[in-house]
Amino acid sequence: MRKFLTPKGLIGLVLVALIALVGILAPVLLDPALATKMYMTARLQPPSAAHLLGTDQLGRDLAVRVLMGARTSLEIAVVAVVISVLLGLPLGMISGYAGGGVDNVLMRLVDTLLAFPALLLALTISAVLGPNIQNTTIAIGVAFTPYLARIIRGEALRVAQMPYVEAARAAGTTNLAMLGRHILPNILPVVIVQATISLAFAILAEAGLSFLGLGTQPPAASWGLMIQASRDYLEKAPWTGLVPGAAVALTVLGLNMFGDVLRDVLDPRSK
Amino acid sequence: MTYVLNRLLSLILTLFLISLITFAVTNILPGDVAMMIMGTQSNPEALAGLRQSLGLNDPLLVQYGHWIGGMLTGDWGNSLIFKKPIAELLGQKMMASALIVVMSMTFALAAAVPLGVWAAVHRDKWQDTTASATSLLGVSLPDFFWGIVMILVFARWLGWLPSSGYKDPAVDLLGALRHALLPSLALGLGLMAHLTRMTRSTMTGILGQEFIRVARAKGLSEGTVVWRYGLANAVGPVITVAGLQIGYLFGSIIVMESLFNFTGMGWLTYQALLNRDVPLIQATVFVIAAVVMIVNLIVDLLYLVIDPRIRLG
Repeated sequence: MRKFLTPKGLIGLVLVALIALVGILAPVLLDPALATKMYMTARLQPPSAAHLLGTDQLGRDLAVRVLMGARTSLEIAVVAVVISVLLGLPLGMISGYAGGGVDNVLMRLVDTLLAFPALLLALTISAVLGPNIQNTTIAIGVAFTPYLARIIRGEALRVAQMPYVEAARAAGTTNLAMLGRHILPNILPVVIVQATISLAFAILAEAGLSFLGLGTQPPAASWGLMIQASRDYLEKAPWTGLVPGAAVALTVLGLNMFGDVLRDVLDPRSK
Repeated sequence: MTYVLNRLLSLILTLFLISLITFAVTNILPGDVAMMIMGTQSNPEALAGLRQSLGLNDPLLVQYGHWIGGMLTGDWGNSLIFKKPIAELLGQKMMASALIVVMSMTFALAAAVPLGVWAAVHRDKWQDTTASATSLLGVSLPDFFWGIVMILVFARWLGWLPSSGYKDPAVDLLGALRHALLPSLALGLGLMAHLTRMTRSTMTGILGQEFIRVARAKGLSEGTVVWRYGLANAVGPVITVAGLQIGYLFGSIIVMESLFNFTGMGWLTYQALLNRDVPLIQATVFVIAAVVMIVNLIVDLLYLVIDPRIRLG
């Protein structure tokens, strides 16, 4: 726990806590309609007392939009990572634990999927299913699965060779009980670290997909979408792009720092 | 030799699997090629006729056979939006993308290796903190955001470089480089961050080893120890990681080329996806995955040449 008391650990912790809080509370405390409310006479306004972070090309308040966007971006990222863990965990665990032919076949499949750049895979799936929040989430989740499966498989392989697993096997533990009671708890730290780091990538992926118009659709507020909308007005109103850009940067920065420290604390290999 | 042969055989198997996955994913698309060609308002009978002649009523396995057969014999079909043979389009766009992929990788390595070594040499000092802060910032912003910032600074405000477009290097070399510079720099920034972290951690491990201590004890200068003894041993892992980043790069060029209107593979893939040009989606997705696999194989083989220790194992 002392590792969290370093500057890096503290900054990471504070940023992650703050952003999670914003994501959870903003839609509760603020009226969601405010995010799409247009002040037609106040378009592309610089930050002021009336609009703390300025307004966009439609006169929408950027502070409200960036706070509401936190919910969209975080929700997509969290659910996508949960999907990839739900798919990657059994895949990697069975592959690493079973070994032999099963491992060969499963990892051949995973390696093939890894040949597709994650963003390309996510874009293709999103385009195929039709871009909306739900399909974007699925697309990112599926695209991240092979990476997670690969790491979990390596970890399961390591744990499966431990003496206590052998002892449990000698005592007649069934495969299912072995996976659930001995393998899973021991690979969990690595899974948690990877999930945290994947969250950072998922935020970036959502931003990329929305930027290309194959992610979250307007008028919803998501950070990627806001950056995309700012493209044509950047010269006149740079804050329209800088505000959502900073939101993405702070979130990903926080998650990366938090993940780094979490790895030092939890990952047995880094000790 | 057996190793190389094995790797080649496994590459062929993987390419086959890639083609299967590509075909499967694109076949979930609602609406089909016939609908794409004739539009949704077309006469149902004509549509049925076209479906028949395109072989869209055949079982999926037969359709896959046709497709892969065409790919193998060089008949890649026509793009629906560009009305051009796909093979010709891909050749052209691949060259354009090769330019920014190579340039961004060069920028990234040129910055990341010295920065990573510097951080490792001054481990836990301010130099190390600076390097890790820089790379953290690099990975924390989406690369298209850097792209936008660069367009603003170098194209709009300073007016030094064009903000969009592509020039053929064979026709106008200087123009081509000028157009490729900003997207390559923006791509290189994110890449640099990953590679700096990797160089640092590899170098830290190496500098702690016995032979480095021996080299220092012999009275060799610190420069020789770090660069000749240390870095020589770090090159292998760094190149491997750089090779693995090719996959990441081919994902990022989709966004970056679209942002800069740089008409390469990424731009082409985006146009195909946006317009649901199924034959073009299949071809671009397949080619990108195949290129990533092949580059990774080349990097692994290169590793054999660079690091003789691997050959024994």
